[in-house]
Amino acid sequence: MTSHDVFLPSYREQSLEVRARFRKITERPVVLQVNRLGKTFDSVKGAVQALKDVSFEVRRREFISIIGPSGCGKSTLIRILAGLEENSSGEILLDGREVSGPGPERGMVFQGYTLFPWLTVLKNVMFGLEVSGNSRGITGNTTEQEARDWIEMVGLTNFADSYPHELSGGMKQRVAIARALANRPRILLMDEPFGALDAQTRAKMQSYLLQIWKNVDVTILFITHDLDEAIYLSDRIVVLKANPGEVQEIIEVPVEHPRSPEQFLSLEFLATKKRLEELIHPPRETEEMLPIIRMTQIGDDVY
Amino acid sequence: MARARYFIIWKELDPKRRRVFQLFSFIIPLVIWAIISYCPVVWHPMVKVSDPGEIAHFKVDAMILKEAFHRENAKALEQHRRPAIGAPANPVYLPAPHEVAASFYKAFVTPPRLPDEPWLHQSLWHSITVIIWGFLISSAVAVPLGILCGTYRLFSYLTEPFVEFFRYLPAPAFAALAVAVLGIYDGPKVAIIVIGTFFQQVLMIANTTQRLDPALLEAAQTLGARGIKLFSRVVIPGILPDVYRDMRILLGWAWTYLIVAEVVGNSTGITWFINQQAKYRIYDNVYAAIIMIGIIGLTTDLVLAWIGSQLFTWKSRKKSVLSRLSAAYASSSKVKPGFSQETP
Repeated sequence: MTSHDVFLPSYREQSLEVRARFRKITERPVVLQVNRLGKTFDSVKGAVQALKDVSFEVRRREFISIIGPSGCGKSTLIRILAGLEENSSGEILLDGREVSGPGPERGMVFQGYTLFPWLTVLKNVMFGLEVSGNSRGITGNTTEQEARDWIEMVGLTNFADSYPHELSGGMKQRVAIARALANRPRILLMDEPFGALDAQTRAKMQSYLLQIWKNVDVTILFITHDLDEAIYLSDRIVVLKANPGEVQEIIEVPVEHPRSPEQFLSLEFLATKKRLEELIHPPRETEEMLPIIRMTQIGDDVY
Repeated sequence: MARARYFIIWKELDPKRRRVFQLFSFIIPLVIWAIISYCPVVWHPMVKVSDPGEIAHFKVDAMILKEAFHRENAKALEQHRRPAIGAPANPVYLPAPHEVAASFYKAFVTPPRLPDEPWLHQSLWHSITVIIWGFLISSAVAVPLGILCGTYRLFSYLTEPFVEFFRYLPAPAFAALAVAVLGIYDGPKVAIIVIGTFFQQVLMIANTTQRLDPALLEAAQTLGARGIKLFSRVVIPGILPDVYRDMRILLGWAWTYLIVAEVVGNSTGITWFINQQAKYRIYDNVYAAIIMIGIIGLTTDLVLAWIGSQLFTWKSRKKSVLSRLSAAYASSSKVKPGFSQETP
């Protein structure tokens, strides 16, 4: 706990700019509204409540993260929002209309990339435009031209004719983002999209994502278990707790925009991280000790 | 060090060594066969008589069991008759490699004994057509059905239990029935191959279809694909390379039913040829014909494997010949205008 001896402001303290920004966000229309969402699984041990009374709303062009300890049902939540699983109770409203089942207006980026391996990068990005039949976007271009524009946006112009197996993990995920965005979804759901990437690639992808979000009319709901990632990217963070998965707190991130990696050490950032740590890893009375017997020579100490 | 490298689990060998060992997989059985055929001390239970001497019932080129030969010679010597002379030989049913090799040519140019009997190439072609028809008919129904079973639970429950039951019924058991229904010509033969292939095929294709990555279906749904488009744009292309591989395996199985199928009704094809040659005790032709089946099967599979690697380039890391050719053409056509500018 010594590192926390540094004086940190409350994570609720917001600078004038940040406060003004949140005021502007609340003036925007609500895109996604989740009302008292519940999910129960039937297992051999009886019914298990994975999610209970989860409620929150996401406003247009907001970046919202969902974070929580493992087993808090955050993946179940995003899968229900995407329509890939059914909720047991509650409702999901998109632009005020209830939704059920998957649909192109809720794009999804998965941790495992899920690119179609038999299609080139270009064809992957064209997939959504072709199957949903909205081949003419606002620009009135052809499907292919539109797909090429999205590929250019994620910086993969030279790889348009490559197959997924020829790309690195970070490149695959950029294709997956372009593919989801090409459909112009009302909300982009991202299920731990950078979880499988190494630290450097992940940092790069976070910066790409912020750039895309700034320039594209898209609302993002992002799932992660990485606290830094959540703070760095989000306007607000929904903190879930486990057994059952419930909303513990919705945190307005006091870190100013535009975001940059230097802010990782800013006081607002650290204050928010401290709060998240408290919520997700509550302090225990004693640290759990492993029953290890000494197997080194006396005096051969490493601390 | 170098020797130990062969015994690292799953360790791939370098291409040169790999090819050498692959070649050895054929050379080793050949060498064993050659040793048995050409070393008189190995096996050789017979004696081929070259000079019968004064033993009445020995004839030139007669094959006599070694013990009998020595016994008769000993008896002849006792009675002051001239003994026979002969060389150790293997039984007639084990010809030497060079004899079988010669048969590959000989069998094709030997005219049939009766004027209405087929030549070897006609018999072989007959066998191939029976296989092709059986496999095509089976695939035409089994592939769509298997894909449906692997995709929709409805079809799976509706067909798979019965198919599981039926695949335990040996195809040759239907021989008599097939003749009664389809006559004695090619009908029942094709039917045996269909029965032998179809049920395995349905289950195999269904199983392959079920192994499609479900995450791809989920991704497609979040992109707006549903119903028939989900089926035609995700399920079908996703399983195609694996279905193709299944078909290669199944085609090999179809060949194993051929020999049974060809003795149903009137015997035809390569089986008829083999049985006929065995009847005349021309065993080198029998071996040649059996090896021909292997060569046809292996060649077909290698050709199909190559075609598969060209069709499904996204699976392998290699570029197809076609795309390499078109790339070469594109680059050469780019060069041409340059030349024409230099030489106006």
